[in-house]
Amino acid sequence: MKRKNANLTARLIQVAFCAALLFNGAQSIADEVTATNSQALAIVVHKDTQVDNLSLEELRSIFLADQQFWPDRQRIILLVRAPQSDERDYVLNRIYQMSEAQFRQYWIAKMFRAEVPRGPKIVFSTDMTVDLVVAIPGSISFIRADQVSDDVKVVRIDGALPSESGYPLK
Amino acid sequence: MRLALLLSLAIFAPVYAADEVTSSGSPIDLSQPEFNIMGFGDISYITNDGSDNDGFVIGQAVAQLSASLGHSFSAFGEFTASAKDSEYSFEVERMIVKYDFSDHYKLSAGRYHTPIGYWNSAFHHGAWLQTTTSRPEMLKFGSKIVPIHFVGVLLEGNVGANDLGIEYKAGFGNGRHSNIARAGDAGDLNGDKAWMLQVNSRPRNIYGLNMGLGVYSDEITLPASPNIEERTVSAYIAWNKETPELLFEYLHSTHESVADSSNSGDVDAWYAQAAYRLSGKRSNWKPYIRAERTRVDDTDPLLGAENLDYDGGILGVRWDFNPYAALKAEYRNEEFDSGGRENNFRLQVSFVLTKL
Repeated sequence: MKRKNANLTARLIQVAFCAALLFNGAQSIADEVTATNSQALAIVVHKDTQVDNLSLEELRSIFLADQQFWPDRQRIILLVRAPQSDERDYVLNRIYQMSEAQFRQYWIAKMFRAEVPRGPKIVFSTDMTVDLVVAIPGSISFIRADQVSDDVKVVRIDGALPSESGYPLK
Repeated sequence: MRLALLLSLAIFAPVYAADEVTSSGSPIDLSQPEFNIMGFGDISYITNDGSDNDGFVIGQAVAQLSASLGHSFSAFGEFTASAKDSEYSFEVERMIVKYDFSDHYKLSAGRYHTPIGYWNSAFHHGAWLQTTTSRPEMLKFGSKIVPIHFVGVLLEGNVGANDLGIEYKAGFGNGRHSNIARAGDAGDLNGDKAWMLQVNSRPRNIYGLNMGLGVYSDEITLPASPNIEERTVSAYIAWNKETPELLFEYLHSTHESVADSSNSGDVDAWYAQAAYRLSGKRSNWKPYIRAERTRVDDTDPLLGAENLDYDGGILGVRWDFNPYAALKAEYRNEEFDSGGRENNFRLQVSFVLTKL
């Protein structure tokens, strides 16, 4: 009798979970949105950083703070735009593949696991981003490609610059 | 639109103030000490069938302090206050000082959550961080199945820059206390230190996948009985994205008397958990399910008499009604070795206090 009850409970749980997945699947098709920006996003680093090219996977690893040092052992300083910017929305969608809430939870968990001593530095504008990338050795951030200046180095992603075909952050 | 932007800046600017950096035109030195504080808490209402002890339960209040003391040196502390029958007990859960040589070598010392499997070193004490209201039974705080804490040194890092994303954690330190639910905080009780090695892979081109294998070894000293050797192997696979979120973890331990090798027994324990973050307007909701089982040989010299066999199934939903708080409703059907089968329902609100 006890085993029968356990089997029934397990079956009920399976049915309920499958129903939730099916219901959500139908809804997600209807709700699908694209958050891409027609303007390419440039990945910029401090001029002394000894990196010219990153794969998209390497870039994601850096933005997730799974990679925290440049090849010359300089600490990577990640600068991220504050919420309510198109650039941030694009990076969360394309690189992190996270919602705003998931992004916040990711960094809280990362700090709570003692994997990083601090979260990303927050910047509030393109000008501020450029100023700080210029001023902070080891820094990396992102700005719209048409706002890049000569003060920062633009990193190739998968071998391509923002103006070239095959650039993955368009 | 402009009003909305101004309002959002007014709301977020103070929140991010501590992480904001300013430029004066000259290089900025970020090696100065920097401190972060976080807190976690939870309150539950639990009702059990056949029990008169229904009621509210204050979960652990957790304080986390971390300090970046230069580009490579950092310190971390996690402290809890847990409600008991007539008082609160305070505990130093983790206390770590760490030096990062590179991504490949990070050396630390202190008190850790033992790197066995996935959950124990992924979620720690903040109920808000985990999908469910509580940890799996085999990994609950105070568990005798898994040595939840260890005190010693840990070397960790990644193995080269490869597409497999291989990472390792190698630890050496004090084993369990004679109260086997506790770590040897004041020193090891015998000459044989505990050691552990965990290797995991997070393939770069399969973003979200995490798989790991680990071994743990210790010699345990009990009052008035021969020492017992403990050998544990663990394996896990986790899919960290929330559409879906999948966790499976398995652990096998062997306990053998040092004085008599025929006096031995095994432990097998596993859990499997699945969750799915809904989309669109319902993206704050995440239904979840978990099944788990623990089996301990009656002949096990360490745990055979503890009545730790367990079967459990839970079904619940998490509602993130606030960016920093969640409400979870959970039905549980559990069968304990000592207490028979029971159903219970729990409602839990959990939160995080942080400036992120």
